Amino acid sequence: MKPYLAHILSNLQLTMRERSVFFFNYAFPLGFFFLFATLNRAKETNTISAVLTSVLIIGLLGNGFFGGGMRAVSDRETGILRRFKVAPPGALPILVSSMIVGVMQYLPVVLIMLVLSIVQYGMQWPANWLSFFVFVIIANFAMRSLGGIIASVANSMAESQIIIQCLYFPMMLLSGATVPISVLPEWAQALVQFVPATHMVTGLQGILLKHESLLDNWKPAVALLVTTLVCTLISMKIFRWEKDEKLPLRAKAWVLVVLAPFFVIGAWNLQSKENITKSKILDRELSRKQTILIKNARVFTATGVVIESGSVLIRDGKIAEIFTGTSPEAKSLNALEIEAAGKTLLPGLIDMHVHLGAPGGVYEDTKKYQDLSLTEKRLKSYLFSGVTSVKSAGDWVDSTIKLRDKGRSGEILSAELYTVGPLFTAAGGHPTQMLKYFPENMRAIGEAQFVRVPKTEADARTMVRDLKIKGVDGIKAVLESGWENFPMVRLDLKILAAICAEAKQQGLSAVVHTSKAIDVKDAFEAGATGVEHGSPAELLPDELLRKMAASGFYYDPTLSVFDALRMMEERDFTRLDDSLLQQAVPLDLLKATRKSISSQQGRPEHSAKMDIARTNLKRAFEAGVKLVTGSDAGNMLVFHGPTVQQEVELWVAAGIPAGQALIAATRTAAELLGQRGRIGSIEKGKDANLLLVDGNPLKDIKSLSRISLVMLKGERVGRSSLLKEDD
Amino acid sequence: MTETVIAVKGLKKSYGAVDAVRGIDFEVKAGEVLGLLGPNGAGKTTTVEILEGIRTRSSGEVSVLGFDPEREAKQLKERIGVCLQANKLPDKMKVSEALDLFSSFYQRNIEKAKLLARLQLEEKKDAYYGTLSGGQKQRVAIALALVNDPQVVFFDEPTTGLDPQVRLEIHKLIEELKHDKRTIILTTHYIEEAERLCDRVAIIDEGRIIAAGTPREIQSRTLGTTKIEIHLESAIGMEALPENTILSEDRKTLTTSSTHAAKTVVELVKWIDANGLGMTDISLKKPTLEDVFIELTGKRLRD
Repeated sequence: MKPYLAHILSNLQLTMRERSVFFFNYAFPLGFFFLFATLNRAKETNTISAVLTSVLIIGLLGNGFFGGGMRAVSDRETGILRRFKVAPPGALPILVSSMIVGVMQYLPVVLIMLVLSIVQYGMQWPANWLSFFVFVIIANFAMRSLGGIIASVANSMAESQIIIQCLYFPMMLLSGATVPISVLPEWAQALVQFVPATHMVTGLQGILLKHESLLDNWKPAVALLVTTLVCTLISMKIFRWEKDEKLPLRAKAWVLVVLAPFFVIGAWNLQSKENITKSKILDRELSRKQTILIKNARVFTATGVVIESGSVLIRDGKIAEIFTGTSPEAKSLNALEIEAAGKTLLPGLIDMHVHLGAPGGVYEDTKKYQDLSLTEKRLKSYLFSGVTSVKSAGDWVDSTIKLRDKGRSGEILSAELYTVGPLFTAAGGHPTQMLKYFPENMRAIGEAQFVRVPKTEADARTMVRDLKIKGVDGIKAVLESGWENFPMVRLDLKILAAICAEAKQQGLSAVVHTSKAIDVKDAFEAGATGVEHGSPAELLPDELLRKMAASGFYYDPTLSVFDALRMMEERDFTRLDDSLLQQAVPLDLLKATRKSISSQQGRPEHSAKMDIARTNLKRAFEAGVKLVTGSDAGNMLVFHGPTVQQEVELWVAAGIPAGQALIAATRTAAELLGQRGRIGSIEKGKDANLLLVDGNPLKDIKSLSRISLVMLKGERVGRSSLLKEDD
Repeated sequence: MTETVIAVKGLKKSYGAVDAVRGIDFEVKAGEVLGLLGPNGAGKTTTVEILEGIRTRSSGEVSVLGFDPEREAKQLKERIGVCLQANKLPDKMKVSEALDLFSSFYQRNIEKAKLLARLQLEEKKDAYYGTLSGGQKQRVAIALALVNDPQVVFFDEPTTGLDPQVRLEIHKLIEELKHDKRTIILTTHYIEEAERLCDRVAIIDEGRIIAAGTPREIQSRTLGTTKIEIHLESAIGMEALPENTILSEDRKTLTTSSTHAAKTVVELVKWIDANGLGMTDISLKKPTLEDVFIELTGKRLRD
């Protein structure tokens, strides 16, 4: 023990006397710290923890490679090491003391920067501060020992310089320390997984940003520890005291051995994509942390209040403050400023009825029908169009839940997704007829994913409970009588009642697909939360509407899908000329759809009448029934994208005041989603899911399509790149 | 009978194709000072470093204080002191810090104050190593070699590159150690150093011991021979020289040795006269160790 302590003491004394150590170890990182913080506008963007991570990594690399590695080579070159050779303790105390002194030198810098981040830039003291320090120390040891192994294999100062530069710069650039991983091309992202510094970055960011513990980051921590151990052992083995002792070229391969744990972890990550996912999530968290002031906008709060000139402060992904009249200075709030004079700020729009599995049109390339990656693109088209939340009203349950969770975690940037999963229906009832078009071998899977056909009430209850466990956000059942030439089997009403009761018990909404007036009536009486489509076939009785209004029943008229039927009948393609639609929907899909409909012979058979659907909506509104907007996108000519805009336009044309239609599309929809506490209005404390449009949609509903900005959980959505992303 | 502290038998060391040591045998008794004398590259340092346990050997048997320096290096290093040929410490290390650091490496220590006093380093104990003179640095090196109060001390060319006065100081220090009855191995290419300090001398050339014994014994090998040196007026042009003579590089000095000095001098003078050369000086000297060396190897100790 004595020689270890003596080496440490002596090493410390020497480094304290070295001016360059002070410069590289303290002045340099602090300079970088302030530079990065200023360049990143860390105060406004709340990215100080990312800046801190970057600077810490740069410091760790420098401390390890230059402080540990070069110093050892220089000691050997000048003949200092030789003198220790004739003393009994050998190399281990020298190696160990170099590592410990590295940490002792570095920890004060860590502490200083941490305190500066907190005092100067408003960062919070890390919740898992112990994990933070332990992780930094482990990383420090590992980098120091890497420096040691470089010193061991390099035959001269010049050689060590080369090796160090070969490791230092890639680790700086390809680790997420300086360049975010998510902006790198895919091949580089794969490469990044093998770079040891990557694991320091994700570990530190996880601990600082996501309040993870050391245990959550056991993989990088273990890899760093293994590196430390292996490096030290190999350094011991090939330790050279004198510059005359040369190492054969093949011994340099030891460096590769040392990096072996990272090859393992890299291969693992590449396979599991775990770390890439984590980096994406971390980057997302950072983009959501900005403090932003949207100034001088008309604010449609969806609470009944419209502020003609107001400003909204967004902090930490939430609406932090709403100012009426003269706006405070963004600078005084440490916020980035978005000037919004002449524009209208609304809560993000919500579509309560979409089918992500269907394109809304026809593909020329039939392979695209099988392309599962398209559902993610469709979900992004919504966000692009300012529709920040959508509810899937029937899709393959497992893949939809997966997609939903990818968005929830922040791995992908897309509209928030909610899903009802499979549809409850009668044997042979709607939509089981669709499964007939499936290939034989797919039909069983399709059934399990897409429908539930309970035979008894108990059956139904079990199914609802199972879906709850699976993680659906609501339940949907089908009451479809069919039409004149095509009558359909309806779900037994007792079973429907059981479904609705069980859903309620499980805290889930239960909406029912309806078609005729009797379907709506039965759904209401069975205890459903609301109906999808209402009735486009028959006028609803006043008595029923009154009861619906009194009990807080929801009505989703899905005018878009009925209007689409009209469009097909009349070969009316005006809707396809909409600018925002053309931006959000793939061009080939629009073209092929137009072509296919134009060339179609005959008329599609259905019982829906747009005028009846419209009248029922108007009457429901007048009766005071709660209204929500759904489009039934995925059906022919209802494309994923600016669906809510179209739906609201149809509502306004049906005689619903724009303000009321917008409340249905935001606040009421959020309520039916069970998310009213979090979204649906511009109120203090709500998530900053926002839409900024040019003009005043209350006067001109078309202005809802003139998007200036979309914000999701405080992140300004980069709309131009959103639909281009290839991953 | 004094015990044998160091025993070397058939020691060989090669670096790749180069044979640095080609079979060396010697013994050192307790309290004895052995000088290894030889020119640069003779294998002295290699031999000493093998004994110190910092270099492996190719073959042969070596025992120092009963330890095999290769297999029991750690135990051996505890008990020996080493003053390397080139000693270097960090410039910003203070003298007393260096002593503290190296003291920590050993279980047995000499009191620092005593060591500083003995090596006259008290005034310099807080000075940075980088600010010391050559002699002071060498005294620090000796101090470091003594921190563990070693039974055996190795000096590898302890005075090379030092000015004469400092060299005398170092000699005095080593003589003191000799008084303490420590066993010392000293390599040098200074003949006076060997003559002054060593009980016995081994002359090494090209990896072999070519002569060994007390300085007197070695000198006596050439006892009776006289060294003759003749300085000429001008450089000798011809290539053919009298038998056994050596011509200096400037071709103006002839050297030879002889057991019959008078006869040889006459012959040489005759040869000079016959070749029409002029003489400026003639000297006759008793042989030194260096002469022995030259006689044995045909080369000088220092180039």
